[in-house]
Amino acid sequence: MASKQDELFRFVEYSPENAERIGYSNYSYWRSVMQNFLKRKSAVFMLFVFVGLVIFSFIALAIGKYDWATLVTNTDLAFHKPDGEYWFGCDNLGRDYWCQVWYSMQTSVKLAALVGGGECVLGIVIGCLWGYVRWLDRPITELYNIINNVPMIIYLTLIALIFRGLSFPVMCITLIAFGWLVMARNVRNLVFMYRDREYNLASRCLGTPISRVLVKNIFPYLISVIVLRLALSIPGTISLETTLSYLGLGLGIDTPSLGILLRNARNYFVDYPYLLVFPAVVVALITITFYLLGNAFSDASDPRNHV
Amino acid sequence: MVKYSITRLLQSAVTVLIVATIVFLLMRALPTDYFFTEEEVMKLTEQQKQDRLEAAGLNDPVAQQLLRFYKELLHGDLGKSRRIRVDKPVIEIIQERFPVSMKLGLISLGISLVLGIALGILQVLNKEGPLDHLGMIYTIFVNAVPPLVTYSLVLMFGAKVLDLPSMFSKRNELQSSIMPVVCLSLSSIAHYAMWTRRYMVDELNKDYLRLCRVKGMPTKDIMIKHVLKNAFVPLIAYIPASILFTIGGSLLVERFFGIPGMGPLLVDSIGRYDTPLVQGLVVLYASMSVIGVFLGDVMMTVMDPRIKLTGKGDTR
Repeated sequence: MASKQDELFRFVEYSPENAERIGYSNYSYWRSVMQNFLKRKSAVFMLFVFVGLVIFSFIALAIGKYDWATLVTNTDLAFHKPDGEYWFGCDNLGRDYWCQVWYSMQTSVKLAALVGGGECVLGIVIGCLWGYVRWLDRPITELYNIINNVPMIIYLTLIALIFRGLSFPVMCITLIAFGWLVMARNVRNLVFMYRDREYNLASRCLGTPISRVLVKNIFPYLISVIVLRLALSIPGTISLETTLSYLGLGLGIDTPSLGILLRNARNYFVDYPYLLVFPAVVVALITITFYLLGNAFSDASDPRNHV
Repeated sequence: MVKYSITRLLQSAVTVLIVATIVFLLMRALPTDYFFTEEEVMKLTEQQKQDRLEAAGLNDPVAQQLLRFYKELLHGDLGKSRRIRVDKPVIEIIQERFPVSMKLGLISLGISLVLGIALGILQVLNKEGPLDHLGMIYTIFVNAVPPLVTYSLVLMFGAKVLDLPSMFSKRNELQSSIMPVVCLSLSSIAHYAMWTRRYMVDELNKDYLRLCRVKGMPTKDIMIKHVLKNAFVPLIAYIPASILFTIGGSLLVERFFGIPGMGPLLVDSIGRYDTPLVQGLVVLYASMSVIGVFLGDVMMTVMDPRIKLTGKGDTR
C-alpha cells in the first residue's frame, strides 16, 4: 500500500519557471470552426460535390461541342434525343441542350453568389445599426414593415417593367435591395440581445471603441446566423431568378438561365422528359449541397459548440 | 388590450397608405408606352396618344393624381379598370378572380396544416429515427430546390403517370385542380412540419416535463396535453398570415397551370399600365398581410394567457 502511494505522489522540486507559468489556451476561433467543420465527413463530401460541380461547369462548357453564343435554331434537330453528338439532346428549336444547361447553371450560381454577398454586407451593416443605435430602431423597423408588407413580386414587377426587363446587373441590385431584410432582422435581434450583456457593459466602461465591441465581442455570435441565412439565401436567389424569368420578368432571353430553359420546355416535359431531368438534376444538386454545406458550417461556427 | 388593438390598427392603416403611395409613385415611373397595346403604339400618332392619356387623367401632375387617388380611396372607391377589362369596376374584377384563388388556397392550406403538423409530430415521436430523417430530407428538398423545378417534376409525374390534365380548366375543375393543390401544399407542408418539430423539441427540453414523467404520466398524454399544446402557441401566430397569403393566390402556381386567379391578374395589370387595378390589388394585399400579422398576435394571446400584447417595439 505504502509503495503504491509512493508511486502516485512524489515531491517536486521548486522550479521558478513553473511557478511563473500561467494558464494559456491557444484557442483560435477560426481554427476551431475549421476543426468542427472537418469533423463532419458528410459536410466535407458536400463541399467537394458543390465545388466540383461549379468547376465542372467550366470544363463542361469547354469540352462541349457547341458554344452557347453560336447556337443556331435548326428545326430538323428539334427534340433530338441525347446521343454522342448532343450529350443532353436538343431543345424544341434544335439547339444543343448541354451547353445551355451548364451555362444557365453558371448564370444562376454567379447571380446567387453576388446577391448573397451583397445581402450579407448590406444586411449586417443595417442590422448592426438597427440593433446597436437606439434612435435608429424605430425608423428602420418602419422601413422594414413597409417593404415586408407587400408581396415582393409587386415591387419586382414594377422594377422589371420600369427597366424593361432586368439585365444581369440590375437584377443583382434589385434582389439585394429587397433581400437584406431577413438578414438585417436576424442580425438586429442578436445584436440587441448581446448589446447589453455584462461583458459588453464592462468593455464599454473600459473605453473600448464601439467598432471593436461590435467586431470582437458580438460578431462571433452572429457568424453562425449569417452563414445559416446565406445557406438559405443562395438557393432562395436561384429560386427567385427562375420564378422571375419564368414569368417573363427576369433576365432576357439573350442570357440563358434556368427559368428561361424551363419556360421554353414547359409544354414538352411530358413527351420529352430529358428536357426537364437534366437541368433539374443539376440545379437540385447545386442547391441541396450548398444548403447542407451552409447548415454544417453554421453549426461549426457557433462558438457555443466549441470546446 | 383594446387600446393596443386600436393603435395597432391605426398604425396598420398608415402602413397600408404608405405602401399604396410608394406603389402609386413607382407606377408613374413606368414608361407610358405600357398604356397602349403593341398595335396601338405603332399605329397611333403622338397627338392621339397624348389625347388618350389626357382623357385617362394620366397627364395631370403627379401630386394631383395622388390626391385624387386618396379621395377615391377614402370613399372606398377603387375606380374602374382601364385595360384588363375596360370600364369594369376593380372590385368586380377582384370578386370574380378571388374565389378561384381562395378555393385552391384554402384546400391546400387545410391539407398542409393537417399533413404538416402530423408529419412534425411523427418526426418528434421518432426523433433521430428513419421517419425523422425522411421528413428532414423532404424539408431540405422543398426548401432548397427552386419551386419551378419541383412544380415541373409534379407536372411530369402527374401528367405521365396519373394522366391528369396539365392545364387548369373550368370544365374539368376537379381533376385539373389536383396538381395545383399538390404544388401549393408541398412547401407549406414542409414549413409546418419543420416548425411543429422545432417548437415541440424546444418544449421537450423543458424541466416540467421531467416532473410529468416522474409522476408517471403516460407518454401519449405528455405529448398531447403538454408538448403539442404549448408548441401550438408560436405556430398559431403564423396561421392567419399564411391563410391570407394563400388565399391571395400563388403567382407562380397560377401562371404555371394557367389558373385564372389573383396572381396573374396582378402582373398583367402592372404590365398593361392598368393603374386603378394595380392600386386596388396593392391595397388589398397590403391590408391582408397587416391584418394577418395582427390576427396572429391576437390569437397568440387568446391561446396563451401568459402572453400580453403591450406594443413595446418588437418586429415579430
